[in-house]
Amino acid sequence: MSRIWAVARQMIAEGIRMKIALVFLVLIGAVVLGLPLTVAGDSSLTGAVQSFMSYGLSATGFLLGLLTIFMSRSLSDELVHRQIFLVMTKPIPRWQYVVGKWLGITVLNAVFLSCAGLTIYGMVHYIKRTHPPIDDRYDEAELNNEVLVARHALPTKLPNFMQDAELEYDRNVEEGMYTDVPGFKPDAEKIRLAQKHESRWRVVGPRDRRIFEFENVLCDRAFKNTIQIRYKTEVSQYPPDEIFRALWRFGDPYKGTPVYDAPVRHVVGRFHTIRVPADAVAEDHTLLAHFYNQNPFQGERQFNNVMEFRASDGVEVLFIVGSFEGNLVRLLILMMCKLMFLAAVSVLMVTLFSFPVACLTAFTVYILAAVGSFLKDSLDFASNDYASMFSSVKEFLVQSIMHIYNLLQWIIPDFGRYDAVETFVNGRNVSLVWVLQATTEMVLVKSLIILGLAVLFFHRREVAEVSF
Amino acid sequence: MVERALPVVQTAGLCKIFRDFWRRPRVEAVKDLNLEIHPGEVFGLLGPNGSGKTTTIKMLLGLLYPTSGRISLFGKAPTDVAVKARIGFLPEESYLYRFLVAHETLDYYGRLFRLPARIRRDRTERLLDMVGLRHEARRPIGEYSKGMARRIGLAQALINDPEFLILDEPTSGLDPIGARQIKDVICELGRKGKTILLSSHVLADVEDVCDRVTILYGGQQRAAGDISDLLCQRDVTQITTPPLSEETMGEVRALIRRLEQRDILSVSHPRVKLEDFFLRIVEEAQAANIRTSGVRKGGQMPEFLQKPTGTTTHDVVESLVEASSRKTQPLTPLEPASRRARYEPSREVLDELLGRKDTPTLREPPPMGDLEPGLSPSDVSRIKKTADASVIDDLLGGKDRSKKPEK
Repeated sequence: MSRIWAVARQMIAEGIRMKIALVFLVLIGAVVLGLPLTVAGDSSLTGAVQSFMSYGLSATGFLLGLLTIFMSRSLSDELVHRQIFLVMTKPIPRWQYVVGKWLGITVLNAVFLSCAGLTIYGMVHYIKRTHPPIDDRYDEAELNNEVLVARHALPTKLPNFMQDAELEYDRNVEEGMYTDVPGFKPDAEKIRLAQKHESRWRVVGPRDRRIFEFENVLCDRAFKNTIQIRYKTEVSQYPPDEIFRALWRFGDPYKGTPVYDAPVRHVVGRFHTIRVPADAVAEDHTLLAHFYNQNPFQGERQFNNVMEFRASDGVEVLFIVGSFEGNLVRLLILMMCKLMFLAAVSVLMVTLFSFPVACLTAFTVYILAAVGSFLKDSLDFASNDYASMFSSVKEFLVQSIMHIYNLLQWIIPDFGRYDAVETFVNGRNVSLVWVLQATTEMVLVKSLIILGLAVLFFHRREVAEVSF
Repeated sequence: MVERALPVVQTAGLCKIFRDFWRRPRVEAVKDLNLEIHPGEVFGLLGPNGSGKTTTIKMLLGLLYPTSGRISLFGKAPTDVAVKARIGFLPEESYLYRFLVAHETLDYYGRLFRLPARIRRDRTERLLDMVGLRHEARRPIGEYSKGMARRIGLAQALINDPEFLILDEPTSGLDPIGARQIKDVICELGRKGKTILLSSHVLADVEDVCDRVTILYGGQQRAAGDISDLLCQRDVTQITTPPLSEETMGEVRALIRRLEQRDILSVSHPRVKLEDFFLRIVEEAQAANIRTSGVRKGGQMPEFLQKPTGTTTHDVVESLVEASSRKTQPLTPLEPASRRARYEPSREVLDELLGRKDTPTLREPPPMGDLEPGLSPSDVSRIKKTADASVIDDLLGGKDRSKKPEK
């Protein structure tokens, strides 16, 4: 271990003294410190903080990704300038040298990421103090309760639509509705019926109501605490002022909880959050929420509006499970996992290729990992469009790329799966399970496999042989 | 029965072929090389550019893999980490990190040998002192001149107190002071029983310090053997004396003509070597405390390098077999025969010249291994001169001529 650490220390010294790392540190500093001056968000305090964190963290991740790739130049330089002759003639096994290089990049990244995290944390508080107030109390409460927290989100419990669909299907069969239907597929029909039931369930007619039930609301049920209901509705017919009226009722008197009414007057098509005292949650950690569509509202123009809670947005209950600081640390660990994987890729590439080729290859892997899910969706979309012009050529190309991509997925992780910036910025909990999954997949499995390959290639390499 | 110690280096049928991208043979750098370097030997590897010296060294160090043949260092493969712990290497150029200062450089290499911090600090100070760069230890190596970097290169090669030292062109880029220092270090390490492999184009350096040499050409071994055997001109005898008068010269000439029926081929005044002259001038300047930003006078060889290399594999086995309570005494390193022979005066010729079989007044110089620490090749040549002067005194009937004023 002492030899690995010696190589890592030397790598860190090189990064700092050769000014590669310092350039990136200055860039990160400029981005993080300069963003509050240029990004205003939606002019609210919450918007300003969210925009700053979103851009700041994304830029930090991207710049450190580039730094990781450039730092691997150290190993390449040692091969080109032959400092490796002196190192490899010392009693250090080659695997320790490769791991030392990786560790050096990782430690440098960890230090820089911590600096960036601390700066972002400091800047958030600076913005909070200095942002021109629109509505002081509301703004700050919104920020503190919805952004600078770690909230766990639970979707509503859905009825068993398939059960309803099967009942209806049986009824239809008895009525002989499906006789003589050419190409009839019972399963497809059941799915169609289930979807129909779900669509019906998701809409609330005028003066109608819907009950949403949440389970496992494991919050502290003290009155002083609050839980949050976040929802978005669409309407069949937009009122001129785009305002809808409704009433939310929280609590279950049958389970002995207090009942809270929350009349709302909200803009259609946007997310809204209602804070409810936490004692509305029953002892068995269930929460009952009634939604009353109050349109058309008495004394106003009559709009027989149907309100819809779409499956993609819907309703969810949120409750605080951790602090902003803890959430930030977990987010930084997730970002660190990606950088550790990228460091392993960069080290592998320089054991195989000269620096320009290695740099380009590592950058390609970075891009593939970052936009992997988008690329896959695009390819899926393209594969559905074979009927168009040049279909056979296109099919061949798309299929080939998909096969290659599927193979690469065995070793290249999908960074999108572990992109927690949006979650963090929305005050959602970056869960420990998520962090553990990322650590296992990106560090313990894929980074180790890649480092193993790097060691293997480097072990076989004649370090004194001239190669271009 | 005395068991011969295991060779430090042994190669058998060593070949190295460099191939191109398509794996086609491009250059056959080393062909069927058989080398054997024994403990305590200073071994010279000679050859013109491209003769395969550096390739051989790189294979010995595990930086290149042989195409065919076998290499063993201390009886093990050159890639063995335990073997590398016993080796010091100075490459043909100083491949050092430009951004590290001298102190950090030596500390880094010391860490790779897992030396404890205290020992690393101590050795770093002493080695920097030895190479005369203690006052420049906090400057980045990128700012050093070639010669200064070379000295740090030598210091890093010695940080682990190696048993086997590989020096590739050690004096290249060095001023005469540095070159002399390095040669002195090599001689001293050789006397302490270290095994040294020296590759150099400067033949005078090799001649000064090596016991045995191998000459390579086109990757093949062309000549090998003890340097004294290879270079000795047995058909000529050379006698060096203080200045002689015409009268004395006449007597010597007559004596030789009478006894040997031959004439003296030439008589001349030998010249001082330019290296010695240069060093004297610099020493005078240093004595006058003239300021310089370059290398200063190097210090003594650190103590940790002065202890003789004792424990060979053979010793370890012996010590294990013998009573475990007894402390293992370090063995006296093997004294190569060539080194003893090198400084012995030609007794036969002198006896013939004196007309007798015994030479009781002859002061025989001690073998190299018994010289006091700190003696350089120039000191050795002074001893030789003293010995030769006494012979001449005897030749001239025991007359003490040393007090005679020089012409």
